[in-house]
Amino acid sequence: MQILNQNRTTGALLLTTLLAVPTAAQDVLVQASKIIVAYSTEAPNNMVLKDSALLIRNGKIAFVGADIPAEARRAARVIDYGNATISPGFVLAATTLGRDVDLGEGAIAFTPDLLTADAFDPWLEQLDTLAPAGVTSFGLVPSARNVAGGIGAVGKPGLEQGRLIAPEVFVGFSVSRSARNQERQPTSLMGAHQMLRESFTEARDGVKIGPDLAILRQVMSGQRPAFFYADTFAEINAVLDIGASFNFAPIILGGGQSERVIEKLAKRGAGIVLNTLSPMMRRADLELPAKLNKAGIPFCFAGRPDQLRLSAALAVRNGLSRSTASTALTRTPATMLGQQANVGALRTGCGADFVVFQGDFIDLSARHIATWVDGKLAHGASAKQAMKTRNTNLTGGR
Amino acid sequence: MTRLLPTSALRTGAALMALTVFASAQQAVTAYTNATILPGGKPAMSNATLVVSGGKVIALGGSALKAPEGAIVIDCKGKTITPGLIDASFQSGTKSEDLNEQSDEVTPHLRVLDSIDPEDPRFQRARNAGVTTVHVMPGTRNVIGGLGCVLKTHGTDPKEMVIKEDASMRIVMGAEPSMSNRAIRGGRVNSMYYRRPTTRMGVIWAVRRAFYDAKEALNKTQGAPGDAPPSPGTQILTQVLQGKVTAVTTARSEQDLRTALRIADEFGYQTIIDEAQDAYMVADELAGKKAVVMLGAPSAEAVAGSARSDGAAPRAGTVAVLAAKGITFVITTGTNTAALPLINEAMFAVRNGLGPQQALDAITIEPAKLLGLSDRIGSLAPGKDADFVIWSQNPLDPAAVAESVLINGQSVSQPR
Amino acid sequence: MNHSFLRIAIACTAIAIPAISQDLVAIKAKTIHTITGPSITDGVILLQNGRIQKIAKAADVEIPWSATVIDASDKVVMPTYVLAHSSGGMRGANESMQNVPWLSVADAVDPASTYFEGMLRNGVGTIHVLPGNNTLMAGSGMVLRPFGRTVEDMTVADNTGMKLSLMTSNGSRLQKIREMRRAIQSIREYLANYEREKAEFEKEKAAGAIPADKKWEKEIDRKQKAAVELIEKKMKGWLYVPSFAELDEALRMSKELDLNMVLGANLDEAMPLLTKLKRPVVLDATIEYFETDPETRKEEQHCSARMLADAGVPFALSLGSAGPTSYPWWQLGTCMRNGLSRQQALAALTMVPAKMLGLDDQVGSLAVGKLGNIQILSGDPTSATTWVETVVLEGEVVYERKTDPRLQYLFEAAEKAAAPQTPKVDDNKKKDEGQ
Repeated sequence: MQILNQNRTTGALLLTTLLAVPTAAQDVLVQASKIIVAYSTEAPNNMVLKDSALLIRNGKIAFVGADIPAEARRAARVIDYGNATISPGFVLAATTLGRDVDLGEGAIAFTPDLLTADAFDPWLEQLDTLAPAGVTSFGLVPSARNVAGGIGAVGKPGLEQGRLIAPEVFVGFSVSRSARNQERQPTSLMGAHQMLRESFTEARDGVKIGPDLAILRQVMSGQRPAFFYADTFAEINAVLDIGASFNFAPIILGGGQSERVIEKLAKRGAGIVLNTLSPMMRRADLELPAKLNKAGIPFCFAGRPDQLRLSAALAVRNGLSRSTASTALTRTPATMLGQQANVGALRTGCGADFVVFQGDFIDLSARHIATWVDGKLAHGASAKQAMKTRNTNLTGGR
Repeated sequence: MTRLLPTSALRTGAALMALTVFASAQQAVTAYTNATILPGGKPAMSNATLVVSGGKVIALGGSALKAPEGAIVIDCKGKTITPGLIDASFQSGTKSEDLNEQSDEVTPHLRVLDSIDPEDPRFQRARNAGVTTVHVMPGTRNVIGGLGCVLKTHGTDPKEMVIKEDASMRIVMGAEPSMSNRAIRGGRVNSMYYRRPTTRMGVIWAVRRAFYDAKEALNKTQGAPGDAPPSPGTQILTQVLQGKVTAVTTARSEQDLRTALRIADEFGYQTIIDEAQDAYMVADELAGKKAVVMLGAPSAEAVAGSARSDGAAPRAGTVAVLAAKGITFVITTGTNTAALPLINEAMFAVRNGLGPQQALDAITIEPAKLLGLSDRIGSLAPGKDADFVIWSQNPLDPAAVAESVLINGQSVSQPR
Repeated sequence: MNHSFLRIAIACTAIAIPAISQDLVAIKAKTIHTITGPSITDGVILLQNGRIQKIAKAADVEIPWSATVIDASDKVVMPTYVLAHSSGGMRGANESMQNVPWLSVADAVDPASTYFEGMLRNGVGTIHVLPGNNTLMAGSGMVLRPFGRTVEDMTVADNTGMKLSLMTSNGSRLQKIREMRRAIQSIREYLANYEREKAEFEKEKAAGAIPADKKWEKEIDRKQKAAVELIEKKMKGWLYVPSFAELDEALRMSKELDLNMVLGANLDEAMPLLTKLKRPVVLDATIEYFETDPETRKEEQHCSARMLADAGVPFALSLGSAGPTSYPWWQLGTCMRNGLSRQQALAALTMVPAKMLGLDDQVGSLAVGKLGNIQILSGDPTSATTWVETVVLEGEVVYERKTDPRLQYLFEAAEKAAAPQTPKVDDNKKKDEGQ
């Protein structure tokens, strides 16, 4: 493997990376001593490259490792992260980016055909919190306040503004406490369950149906993933019931009491987007990811972006394998959103969205060096700066 | 902190836990011997034996009945065995918001089964106090709340626990369905609560309108093309009119009790009367109509909570009145938050003049009959579910403890 | 002198004597539970001037011809129950001002309260009424019999104790403890001040500045008197301890001031502390309760009576104001359900509270010389179907079930329903038939 040549283009390199002006057409070669292309729940299946590089072209991964053609390598601008680790950026499966108010139509509970994309603002403040937390893509989900909230989108943050890469991806539903509102139908869980049942029945059996029920048909045919907010046992049960009756595998958002329904979840092929973990939780809650994994139920985390790593670390401490935890932050949410070809891994064709850590990001002591989105530095240090600052020796307390 | 049981109880309890689990796994036979058995609906048997296998009762007999060859024998000397208790009106711990779909005051088709949580602490408390089957209904905030179901009190999934779905449809008379609904003032209507009834008249009108629509739907032999099919709610009501689904009318005060009977008469359906605190005032009418009564928390000296505004004044002698008039009734815990565990409700009933046999029947075989499940629960007889309780002494004694509670032959109670 | 005059004269004297007792009363019973001694079958109790003169088997007793005989020969007889702590029967049991040691329940007790009626119905004969749990230093209590038209009629003993409470209705636990300490400290300071003034007076007298015949006249301020007696341990203090968290402070205070403690529920964490209790305690009415384990979310049932029994600490039971805990037989049943013996349970409503009140030579058991406070029951005291038929206090019948208006109200419909139906004869028909 070629070692970085500190040549005269370094200055220009620094300048260009700092300005983050898209250098049309020039490829970027990113090097590091460890590159994880894709995580897997089985550790031996992690795709890891040692002392390797990625070639980024037009914001996507063009070539990986040994496949990088020599001329491309020569022509590219080189970013060398030395002995840091590069891995796919985190995918935040479900977020409202702080705009819950805009993402839930309050007057009626059943609005499956509204688009969260219509409420997306590329300059939203919350987008700026994503890259510093290592998040390179997200699912924009409707509010939990609606039994059928609308169609969710998938987007990415950026150094200056975010963007949506897919405006109409999945459908958001809810039977959680927020969906039950004493001021309008439904006021109870029974009512929410009945509302879903009646709507799905009409969508399936009706002859002429409107655009709202057409969305439900897409869910039943497997065209669109369906995300359901559900926390308690009774709520999750209700969702699995609907899934069973109308033949689709739901993805549960929240899932606090999923432990009690594990067999059913596994049987229905359901997935869970768990609320982020915190050290204050009961042991049973911290062990939940390990239990879900053991039962073969795919899961990932969602909540505050800066708590994703903590959730992974806590899950590992409570019995989850590192590779599964890492997968839960990357490939699993990508798959749940149906975006596994674009995000969650650094394979050829995927977006050039990655994080650079000194060490394994599961270790909370690992230092976060940089986040790249679409082949551009979105947060943190370029290679040069990273090398400079990394050798700080802190001695104290004498 | 676990308390220390007297040694004999510990021995029996531990033996039971270990062996009955083993037994049901192996389809082995277990015989409980030397006990006083109150089989439910029949007089007590002393020095009796209960034989259980595969989750069912195989045999029951006096001292003449010997434990079968190869059976595991558990000596219950000094203990009393009764059938598992049945609470025909059980308030689960589900929040009241989830027990009532308030967007419409008439929701006959909603099912409370959808909101059951098996790990509700009330199920555990009920189990530990000897209750093995409960009938759960929707709440009392709706005029017609929806469909109730009958469940065993142990399980991980409501679908496994349920033994009868759509067991009842709840109608509520009185003040609760009209409370906190708003009357239009100043001409502004900004909440669905304005649509709901605010008076007793309004509540009864809602019931009559619902049944009127159902009767129309029933009588329509041919619908014109383009006619909408009857709503799911109306469909349930037609089933009630046809006697396919049992109506349960919650009525506490004298006025509401009479109204409940009158409406049932008017539309020609049979109804069970639930709560019925003022029943002693309406006893002759109830007897005349051969009404079946579910008496809610008869030990309570007052009705608790918002239901108090019905004005019902419970009296201790009610159980004796119903018995004297020959009215079929069961004892339940009902909607009163001050209700005691079911066995203690029965205990108070005996204190207040009900015969002990009848009191025990009122929490075993009579509720089983009322719920249409007497072929499988409510008494100890060959072929029935092995749901039973081993008590430290006669269960109507204040010092009695449910040492072991079994459902389908499996121990489900926690050692205390 | 003719007979009628004599009769009237006797009648007049009978009325004139305060009807605390008729001279001689004999109670025949199937079973006599004395509490402190063995039970007697087919026995007789003789009362004279309101006190027990003799208890023995019927065969061994000759009933004087002039005695009034109460025939309970098919019933159970035992002493009336004693409650060491109760806040019922008062109009306003809690003062909003927190520090009011000068108040007395004598001014709040309402003899007409249905509470006392209920107590008689349940066979309670002696009640120590104290202010409620919501006031820091609430005032003094008195021991009452639940019968009488005036508070004076009802009084058995006055100034029987000062009520203190560590319950926090507003403010934090720490704040409450601090307030309590400050309150006690300020009483000590007042007392010290008073003593010092008195000493100075005596000194000046001795030095001749004050005439020798002048007496020290300043009395302890009326408002402080009761509190001072508490500090000087001349009056018993009764401290309400809401939960185990206050128990430590309560134990410290109890040692300092020789207090009796009334324990609330939630004691399950306090087992090691409970063993440090060197004196009997009173338990709140709720003795059986559920706690949810935060980790497993499972409910556990606890019984505070059982915990104290395990710790070897004698306890007195309380009765609730309503619901099952207001029935002694239910409280006894709860104790026995949780493994306590019948004797332990009964003692908690008889001798233990009697001792705590310093009245164990008067009440709490049936023994020669004690007050004739007796309840006649239809069956065993621990059975759910037993009713109190008659209550005798100091030799006088003060309650009979057959004339109890409340029970008549509760059961009148039942009585009517049970009565054989007399065929209604149509009056018009009668006329037609020429009757």
